[in-house]
Parts: sequence; C-alpha cells; structure tokens
Amino acid sequence: MPEIQHERKIYSLLEVTQSIQRTLAERYGSVFWVKAEMNKLNHYPRSGHCYPDLVEKKDGKVIAQLRATLWKDDYNRINHSFLRVIKAPLKEGIAMLCCARVMFDPVHGLSLRIMDIDPVFSLGELEREKQETIDKLKAAGIFDSNRALALPLLPQRVAIISVETSKGYADFLKVIDHNPVGYRFFHFLFPSLLQGERAVDSILYQLKRITKVIFHFDVVAIVRGGGGEVGLSCFNNYQLAREIAEFPIPVITGIGHATNETVVEMIAHKNGITPTDLANFLVDRFDEFAIPVLQAQETLVDKVTHIVKNEGQQVRSMARYFKSVTGNLVLKSRHAIHDFSRAVIHQCRFQIHREKALQNALAFDLRKLTMSFCNQCRLEVDKSIITVTKDLATIVKDRMGEIETIERNVNNMSPAFVLKRGYSITMLNGKVVTSSAGLKSGDLLKTILSDGGIESEVTAIKKPGEI
Amino acid sequence: MSDTPNYKEAFDELQQIVSEIEEGQISVDELSEKVKRAALLITICKKKLASTEEDVNRILKDLDAPEE
Repeated sequence: MPEIQHERKIYSLLEVTQSIQRTLAERYGSVFWVKAEMNKLNHYPRSGHCYPDLVEKKDGKVIAQLRATLWKDDYNRINHSFLRVIKAPLKEGIAMLCCARVMFDPVHGLSLRIMDIDPVFSLGELEREKQETIDKLKAAGIFDSNRALALPLLPQRVAIISVETSKGYADFLKVIDHNPVGYRFFHFLFPSLLQGERAVDSILYQLKRITKVIFHFDVVAIVRGGGGEVGLSCFNNYQLAREIAEFPIPVITGIGHATNETVVEMIAHKNGITPTDLANFLVDRFDEFAIPVLQAQETLVDKVTHIVKNEGQQVRSMARYFKSVTGNLVLKSRHAIHDFSRAVIHQCRFQIHREKALQNALAFDLRKLTMSFCNQCRLEVDKSIITVTKDLATIVKDRMGEIETIERNVNNMSPAFVLKRGYSITMLNGKVVTSSAGLKSGDLLKTILSDGGIESEVTAIKKPGEI
Repeated sequence: MSDTPNYKEAFDELQQIVSEIEEGQISVDELSEKVKRAALLITICKKKLASTEEDVNRILKDLDAPEE
C-alpha cells in the first residue's frame, strides 16, 4: 500500500510496476497477432532463449520499438517450421507475423512474448525483400552491370569464394584441376560463410580482399554446395547484390540448390546450377578457345596440303602440256625440214637437169660452131692452096728471069771478061796496086792481062793531069 | 605485333592466317613463312592453355600490403 507523507501518496517502485503489470494483464490478457520487423534476434546459445528487438519503420526511421522474448522451446519449434517452409532459419531484418502477448515484469519491464511466427508471412516478406532488391538494382541501373562485363577469352585465374571443407568447393576443383584436356587454371580460395545471416558480411569482406589483388584474377567464383538448401536468402541481400553487380570483374556463381534463383545468381555474369556445372562452364570457355585452335591447325594442314598438291598438279600438267606442245612443234618442224629438204633436192635436181640440158645445148652449139669454123678454115686453106699453087709458077718464072739477068750482070763483071775488054791488074809484091801513093821508082810491078802478064819497072810517078 | 603475342593476339593472328589461306590470298612463295608463323602461334596458344604464371606468394604479399 502507498505511504502518506505530507499529504502526498507515495508508491514503491514495486507497487508501480505491479500495478502496471496488473493493468496490462487485464487489458492485454489475450493472445494477438502482431506484424513487426525483427531488428535483432539476440539468440543466446547457452540458454537457447532469444530476446529479439522488434521495430516498425517508416521511411527508414524507427517509429516503434519493443523488446520481445522467445523461449528456447518456442524458438526451436518456430525455427524448424521456418526451415521446412521457407528453406531458411529465423533471421534478422525481416518483417514477420508473430503470435504474441504483452508481458510486463517488474524487473525486466515491458516485452512481447512471442509464441509463434507464421513462416508463410515471412516467405512473402522474403519474396518482397528479394523483389525490392531487384527493383533497387534496376533503379540504380546496375542490374545487368556484371553480366555486361566481357569475360576474358581464357578465364584462367579464378578467385574462389567458398568454404574450404565444402563438397561444392571440392566438386569445383575436381573439374578445373583434373579436366581431361589438361587445361591449366590458377585458383585462390577466399574462405567465407555462404549461408545464414553472417554470410553477407563475410562475402563482402572477401570481395573487398579480392579487390586489393584484383589484377591477379580474371573471374570470381562463388561456390557453395553440400550445405542443404537453407539460409540462402543472404543472396537476396541488396548490399551484397549491389557489390557483386558493380564488381569490376565477372562474378560467377555455383550455389547449388533447387529452389528459386536468388538475386545474386540473377545478376551474376554466369550462374551454374551446381559448382560442377560452373566449373564445366569455365572448361567450356577453354574449349571454345582450344577447339578453334585445333580446327585452325587442321584447316591449315588440309589447306596447305591441298595447295601444295594442287600446285604440284598444275606444274605436272604444265610440264605435260609443255612436253606435248614442244613435241608437236619438233614434229612439225621435222616435217617442215623434211618437206623443205625434199623441195631443195627436187629443186636441185631440176636445176641440175636444166643446167645439164643447157650445157648440152651449149656443147652442141660449140661443136656445131667449131665444125662450122673448121670447115670455113679448111675452105679458106684450100682456097689459099689453090691461089698459092697458081701464083707460085708465075713467081718462080719471074724470079728465074731476075736471076738470069743478075747472072748475066755477074758474068759481065768477072775479071776475065774485064781483062778481055782491056783492063789489067797491077800488083806489087803480090798485092793489088790501087793508088800511086807508096810507089817508088825502081819497084818491079806485075801486070796481069787476059792472056798472060808482063813485068815492068817503075820509072816515073805522075800525078793526075800529068798523064 | 610483337614476337611473343598474348593469347588474344596469337589467336586473332592465327585466325587471320587461316582465313587468308582459306580464301586463297596466300601465294605459294609466302606459304612456308605463314605456316611457320601459324605453327608458332598454335604453340603459344596451346602453351597458354596448359600453363599459368600466377604465383600464390605474390597474391599473399599483395593481400598483406597496407591499404592505400
């Protein structure tokens, strides 16, 4: 009961709180459904109880806030129901529909005791959250940003965000490290939680680390698998989705679940249904590069062989043609030479024949002319003989007459005849005296006369005129 | 183009040579040189597929480097 002091009624704190407790118990005796956002779950693992902070926001501002209690048994039951219906545990930051009653404790104060939470309402809320994330990404114009990046021709260097011990990580590595063709990948693990509430911060932290060494990598692969299908709503988180959408290199996902695609998978450069599927996508990209190289090699071999063969054929064909043409030409020339030689022989024979005929004709003419000339000469000789014979007698007779005349003159001039006519020859000492000079008186001279001679002595020498 | 092209350049040049040969733009005189070049490019491409130059230690060192 309150004390009365100086006309003032004074209550103890307990009395006040008990009064509030009574009032509230009367006013809020029933159980009701309340819609609120679970700002914090505040789960204490040791006791198993939760003390969630419930809020209501308007335009991002808190307009109502109330602490709640969720006892261990209720929590376990509700969580189980969530996992079954929405494939995710009870999580913070989501609107929910709680079945609760108002509680007031003198020590712990006002709270809502949560007795049940409708998972179907939260499912809708999760969908709404997911849609909101999509809408915000689209509004920011970055929904397709990561997909718009060009994946390198060979996505060879992979930054993997995964759990080292997970089956998904093992599956992924099995494919890229042991691909049958022997393609070589470089990969580096950035370990992270991949489900539940803390996954968002964990992945964001690793993305930040990757950004530091981004020039070492071609692609980021978020690989999860083997962890069941719960706790994937983290991949609908706007902050995470935005970070991935705007990541400077392609982010590919292989999260491995059968339920609806998450926002991160939607905006990823490539989403594989499973880690194996995602790894095969990378290997396929290598094939896309390797197969054209092999095809190029085969095409080269084919084409070059074909070209060489073709050129060879052309050369052989040309050689055959050349041989044939030159053969024909030689044959033709040989025929021409043969024809020509025959013509020459024919012409020569004709010429020789003609020359011979000409010669014969000339010889005949020569003989004829010679004979004619000889005949003429003979006639002239005969004629000369006749003339000579005829003239000879006359000449001989004339000459005889001339000779007789000369004979007579000669006879007239003989010494005997001269002596007979009175002439004598005087001689001195056996020599005929033709001059008076040299003679002297007393010389004995012999004088020859026609019928003898006389000897005389010189008595005088007389000069002409003196005789 | 340098003597050691990266795989993109090597791949593009290889495709170029193949299409030139396919279209008969290459004379028999050039053929030998082109085939030699193509063989080199194929080797570069195949080598690239089967090897990587990344070094884990360098990444670890870069990760530990202080923030700029």
